[in-house]
Amino acid sequence: MAANPTRRVVLAAAALLPLAAASGCGSVDVLATPPSEGPAVRLLRSAIAAEQTMIAHYGTVLRGAHGGGADLTAELEPLLAEHRAHLAQLQSRLVIPAGSAASTQPSPSPSGRAATAPAVPTAPAAAVAFLKNAEQAAATALLTRLVTAPASLAQLFASISASEATHVPVLDVVASRAGRAG
Amino acid sequence: MTRAPGPVSALQAALTAEHAAVYGYGVVGAHLAGGRQDRATSDWVAHQQARDTLEAMLQARGATPVAAAVAYRLPVQVRNPAQAASLAVLLEERITTAYLGLVAVDTPAVRTLGAQQVQASALRAAYWRGSTVAFPGLPASALATRRRSGS
Repeated sequence: MAANPTRRVVLAAAALLPLAAASGCGSVDVLATPPSEGPAVRLLRSAIAAEQTMIAHYGTVLRGAHGGGADLTAELEPLLAEHRAHLAQLQSRLVIPAGSAASTQPSPSPSGRAATAPAVPTAPAAAVAFLKNAEQAAATALLTRLVTAPASLAQLFASISASEATHVPVLDVVASRAGRAG
Repeated sequence: MTRAPGPVSALQAALTAEHAAVYGYGVVGAHLAGGRQDRATSDWVAHQQARDTLEAMLQARGATPVAAAVAYRLPVQVRNPAQAASLAVLLEERITTAYLGLVAVDTPAVRTLGAQQVQASALRAAYWRGSTVAFPGLPASALATRRRSGS
């Protein structure tokens, strides 16, 4: 490998095999154009950071909602579970050798939102609306990231982006219900 | 050497799926009423527009767009509204996967269109299914989990 020997994190090569177009078109692969590892790893790390931020937001809202008396657990938990699945899948595409510094370091190039994130509102309806906006922003950000990603990573980003987009109308309903309840 | 998927074959695959969806939504709408029929109609129009977009993209590349079949074998029997919704879900899931094929193409315009349509079809599928999924369009085989060796 010509990779920088200090780089301790590489994309999981086996996970990079792209999904072939499923509707009857023949063998499809992109092995002839391997991605350069650096940019792809950065894209992956920023996507991981975004999912971690989203999961933290859900945790904040769920804790606050319990305290406020409006139990949103039944409605928010399924969405949170999907974000955990996103995070696990994204993390599975990074190989982090045991004991390497990278395994314990936070992402070097997160989206920046973690540091500057606005406080999650405490009122249930406003908190759910906050999640809705975060979902929409995350879905849009992935659409940008996937343009320059290797094919298989782009497909994963597109699928996760679509999943997050489907959370928006769900949260819209939950927000209006929480607004009436509160 | 192998090559990256060409735009034309991926566009044709998506167009094939759109033709099937345009046909299928005719069946879906026929078994629904009221607001859900309106929804089926607007989804049907969305698929017609997507079909037209794909045909134009293929023609711009000098390719002949695949034609629609006269009729399609439906993946499920449709005799009532619940079955109509199930058909809509199946149609959308196939469309989502077909557009993920466009996302694998290196051409930015094709990839971006694919990703936007993956979103759009996932939204329609979630409406008809009544719930969301974590990985729209991705088969389980594409999601083999692997543990990070560091943890």
